[in-house]
Amino acid sequence: MRQTVLRVERVSKSFGGTRALDDVSIEIRAREVVGLVGANGAGKSTLLKTLCGLCQPDSGRIVLRDKVLGLKGIADAANAGIGMVFQELSLLPNLSVAENILLGHEGAALRCGFYDWKALRALAAAQLRKLGSSISPSARTGSLSFAERQMIELARVLAIEERAQNEPVILLDEPTSMLDAAHIEAVLAQIENLRERSSVLFVTHRLDEALRVCDRIYVLSDGRCVAQRGRKDFSIADLQQHMLGRELGVACPAQARPARQAESRLSVRALCCGNSYRGISFDLSDGEILGIAGVAGSGRESLCRALFGIEQPDSGEIVLDGQPVQLGEPADAVRLGIGYVPADRDAEGIVAGLGILENMTLAHLGGLCRGPFLDRAREKALVEGWIAQLRIAPGAAQTPARHLSGGNQQKIVLAKWLVAGSPKILILDHPLRGLDVGAKMDITRLIRELAQSGIGILLIADTYDELTALSDRIIVMKDGVVSGHFPAGGTKPSELQILECMV
Amino acid sequence: MRRGIGPFLPLGVLLALLAAMGAVEPSFLSLDNFSLLVGESSVILLLATGQTLVLLLGGIDLSMAALAALVSVLIALALPTMGAGAVVGALALSTLLGAVQGVLHARAQLPSVVVTLAGLGLWSGIALAIAHSTIPISAGYFAIGWLEGSSFGVPHAFAFAAAALGVLAALMHWLPLGRMVYAIGLNPKVAILSGIRVGRVKILAFAVSGLFSGLAGMAMAARTYSGNPSIVDSLLLPSITAVLIGGTAMTGGVGGFARTLVGVLTVTVLRIGIAAIGIDPAYEPIVYGVLAIAAVALSADRSAIFVLK
Repeated sequence: MRQTVLRVERVSKSFGGTRALDDVSIEIRAREVVGLVGANGAGKSTLLKTLCGLCQPDSGRIVLRDKVLGLKGIADAANAGIGMVFQELSLLPNLSVAENILLGHEGAALRCGFYDWKALRALAAAQLRKLGSSISPSARTGSLSFAERQMIELARVLAIEERAQNEPVILLDEPTSMLDAAHIEAVLAQIENLRERSSVLFVTHRLDEALRVCDRIYVLSDGRCVAQRGRKDFSIADLQQHMLGRELGVACPAQARPARQAESRLSVRALCCGNSYRGISFDLSDGEILGIAGVAGSGRESLCRALFGIEQPDSGEIVLDGQPVQLGEPADAVRLGIGYVPADRDAEGIVAGLGILENMTLAHLGGLCRGPFLDRAREKALVEGWIAQLRIAPGAAQTPARHLSGGNQQKIVLAKWLVAGSPKILILDHPLRGLDVGAKMDITRLIRELAQSGIGILLIADTYDELTALSDRIIVMKDGVVSGHFPAGGTKPSELQILECMV
Repeated sequence: MRRGIGPFLPLGVLLALLAAMGAVEPSFLSLDNFSLLVGESSVILLLATGQTLVLLLGGIDLSMAALAALVSVLIALALPTMGAGAVVGALALSTLLGAVQGVLHARAQLPSVVVTLAGLGLWSGIALAIAHSTIPISAGYFAIGWLEGSSFGVPHAFAFAAAALGVLAALMHWLPLGRMVYAIGLNPKVAILSGIRVGRVKILAFAVSGLFSGLAGMAMAARTYSGNPSIVDSLLLPSITAVLIGGTAMTGGVGGFARTLVGVLTVTVLRIGIAAIGIDPAYEPIVYGVLAIAAVALSADRSAIFVLK
């Protein structure tokens, strides 16, 4: 058995009343990829933050190569040899690639406070070579794609190798959750690569990925480490069971739905916007779920933002219920009965400082008035009704939204558009992103119910499974144009068919 | 996690201050003195009320005191000829100028600190250009004279300011507009994506702060029997400090009008106390500066601000 490099011994951490980590013990050995899986709220992020110095455990200790660590921050962790690749990345877009890779640890490339640019670029190039990447060290980070920036983030973490005497421990926080299929393969290959020179702790939602690359997997549930499995015992059903404590069927069971003959609610004609998208035309009927597939940069997010009035197209027509409409700002779209669930729930979905009630009624304040005044009694009754119907927990209407889990927050965001009575169209931008298995099932069921009640839904989904499970029809966008169309009623397209249209 | 200063800390500080002043000078705690105290605070209360609304929205209005000065000058000039019409006209003008600032902020996307800083310069400059020095009110004082004097021990000016605060607070509570203001202050993106016409709310808020600037100018003219173009210097800092030590956060979305009342009373107690103890009033700004820093330090929800700029 290989020697242990990093050991977490009985670490506990509470935030206010919530016990995020409860007596957790794991160990990572040399040249090993250890997987960490668990539902949202299980404690994965907290454990990672404790390991890279962003928060201090209340009790327990972290031992690196037989030395107890007292980490006060990321710099401490990096000096000790622990590096973290953040899910949302932590690069500075206005600096060059070389500066980002070596920020804070320029070493010989910094003399008397001045950069030695040649040395800096050489050092950065050395890190990029370890990954086999061809990105130029002088490129401006902000101009690169998400996948390329993730590569740079990895290179930055690998720079630790030069500083610490031993092989680093690399923490990967859901590196694949924001990527499309092609890039996920690249990341998994990199992890195999990293195994040669470091130990890796790989946190992910996607069990199939974990099973592929990991040597051992720990399962966290409600802050406790509930299972540890070695390669020979791997099984998705077994892991899921431990994550949730119950048996699960397929996470998002596909449903055969008859092709609808309803009239077209929303028509998009020859919509164009600069380089983002060109000549987009499609129809959306009542009660239909139209999935839009595409890689980052395909223009689908821009298209959906234009349909909600966040951006303005250069030319083309948007026709709602037979009438062409101009959407100058989101308020126009809301007045017309269009709702939007953004991908970035924390920044754009909920107001963290307000309660469930205030968040849920934010889009419908005018309709909850008696005369000019807010009818607070009616508002409270309405909100409590929705909290019960959607099973939002904790269920007190005044609970601050920031105390809720991601799944419950997403329910509030969806409820915001339902509180007003049925919206005509709902645009869902990655509605299942960052949710655990249980929450995904809840939201999936809710989306299906909404479609059944007659709302037309535009869906941008994270994975092939989600897209095909939910959508009646799928259009694929590539480089700004519609490159594929899979109509309803036929057999579901295969992953390969969609991928072919996407790249 | 703590959201801002708890509602009782500013109140506790105020009561502690009153007790301390009373200990040093027992006559301080008499009814007459309280009457004097709250009468002194009315102008700052009006300014602080308007400022609270703008701060809740996540902006700031640096021009309020200057606009008040301009209004006091205009009233002093026009009262003899126009009587009550001068007051109405001046208030309408200050509301309009506030709205103009709001339009520049909301539609031209200029930060409120920049727009109102420019306003500060403009309105005080215009006031000084019109009136090189204090203009005594020669006639027509009756139109604003009702603000002076007191009934049942309560100065009219304070009753008026408190009533204005009460009306605004009630409107904010009962109108959907209040909810929108808090939402915009906490997270403007979500507000926009929820269909709130943020631009209109901002313009309205700055129009209201313009109105309250005008009301403050009117109260000032009543109290000093004149229009004073350079009163800006002594009103800007205490009025903003009062809002901050009351517990309304600089960052927006947290706080309220009751807190502002406590803050204004605290600032006024300090002002009078400083004079009573015998410290040179020139040192007042130092006290306000220290208090403002302490208040913001205590009230800033640091969990929300990861890095301060």
